[in-house]
Amino acid sequence: MDITIKDLEHSYSKGTPFERKALSNINLSIPSGTFQTIIGHTGSGKSTLIQHLNGLLKPTQGSIEIGDFKIQAGVKEKRLKALRKHVGIVFQYPEHQLFEETIEKDILFGPLNFGVPEDEAKKRAAKLIQQVGLDESYLSRSPFDLSGGQMRRVAIAGVLAMKPSILILDEPTAGLDPRGRREIMDLFYRLHQEEGLTTILVTHSMEDAARFSDDILIMEKGGIALQGKPETIFSNPHSLKKLSLDVPETVQFIHRLEERFNKNLPHSVFTLEAAVDAALSVLQKGEDS
Amino acid sequence: MQNIIIGQYVPGQSFIHKLDPRAKLLTAFLFVIIVFLANNWITYALFGAFTLLAIFVSKLPLRYIYNGLKPILLVIILTFLLHVFLTKEGPLLLDWGFLKVYEGGVEQGIFISLRLLFLIMITSLLTLTTTPIDITVGIETLLGPMKKIGLPVHEFALMMSIALRFIPTLLEETEKIMKAQSARGAQFSSGPMKERLKSIVPLLVPLFVSAFKRAEDLAMAMEARGYRGGEGRTSIRLLKWSGKDTTLFVILLLLCVSLLLLRS
Repeated sequence: MDITIKDLEHSYSKGTPFERKALSNINLSIPSGTFQTIIGHTGSGKSTLIQHLNGLLKPTQGSIEIGDFKIQAGVKEKRLKALRKHVGIVFQYPEHQLFEETIEKDILFGPLNFGVPEDEAKKRAAKLIQQVGLDESYLSRSPFDLSGGQMRRVAIAGVLAMKPSILILDEPTAGLDPRGRREIMDLFYRLHQEEGLTTILVTHSMEDAARFSDDILIMEKGGIALQGKPETIFSNPHSLKKLSLDVPETVQFIHRLEERFNKNLPHSVFTLEAAVDAALSVLQKGEDS
Repeated sequence: MQNIIIGQYVPGQSFIHKLDPRAKLLTAFLFVIIVFLANNWITYALFGAFTLLAIFVSKLPLRYIYNGLKPILLVIILTFLLHVFLTKEGPLLLDWGFLKVYEGGVEQGIFISLRLLFLIMITSLLTLTTTPIDITVGIETLLGPMKKIGLPVHEFALMMSIALRFIPTLLEETEKIMKAQSARGAQFSSGPMKERLKSIVPLLVPLFVSAFKRAEDLAMAMEARGYRGGEGRTSIRLLKWSGKDTTLFVILLLLCVSLLLLRS
């Protein structure tokens, strides 16, 4: 499903002394199947923006189209539940949403709410629990006996079990250890490719943004500051510095390499492996001459 | 959800905002008592005038007061109806067979509803113009003498300030969990009643879990910073009784005297 956002504006507590404009002038289109990353400092409006994508927040101005659903300021959309079936959100610290007696029941909560037959939902749960890196014996255990990281995985499985076609991830790896972080992000990326999902990732990690994104959106003070392909965004470290953001470590490395050896290197080097290759090519050429 | 205004201080610089919390607490307390002195139209009008004046002076947007009243509006209406139909005094006004309405009933209904209305307005005014912390410090100093007879005043004040402090946090948390469960297809605000009732469990369980966790974290943090109760502890907030507060009490005294003179 394509997403089109037009002139979106959102103010919290509208009409009170606490009124605060969180978003203004957002125009954005995300074609189906895109991996869209949203970067920005705390309070830049990222979380507010993504909550519009399944009608948890209503725009105070402008409109959002998702497939053939349309959410418009001042118009009540009656098919919100149908929309939410298509748009899964993994919120920040999703482990806080666990509530059932067993992990299986918790994973089933979403699918059953959306009318998936129970045996089908159970099949999904059995498959997903393994995909998130736990084994099937966990299904009958209480989610509250798990460690924080395991709870996170269960909560993520609970969202994935809805089989959304748009998956929104709000800092899904915050507070995880490096290994857990990599595993979770790899899982999301694999699903993105295998299932043809539209993925929207909110993150602070430039490395993740660089590695996975088709398109990067940088937000500042409730508006869009920069938008473009990772190559374009990260090839200009100065504009990022102005927003007090960094380029990924691999890109920093390549820039330093270029300075040192006075050579032009490709800038779309976003994985450690690619950075190693680039460095090797420079060094080998050095030896050849 | 956002309509509950307990602990929702609205910042301001008005006369009422600047009063000593002790003065405001005592006033609210006295008000609750003397509102029972009113028993005829003129005394109720006097209370009405006092309440409206207080609201006017506080410069709070009226909507806040109204929002605070909304949840108990039903109680007020119910009280009114009960009095109207159950009090059998004065001349008969209406007669629908089994339902008889007397003049005394209508009067009584209006009086009691007004009394409730004033009580809620004045107490909301207290919480709207005083930070929860100020209220707690105020209560602690006012109850200070009770320590002598072994009442755990400090602990009580601490419990209260913690409770007040966490109301907004819990509300925020509630909203967050509601959103997360809505995204998973739970229905809180629309759909059949049965569905809505069912979605309370997915809301309450996580809420309790996180409240307990917060309590544990807080206890740990306090202990880590060497908290050990009230003995010998000084407060960072020193309360100052000023001319404003005395003025308030003079007004209150005038109100009391005129009440005693005017009540029938």
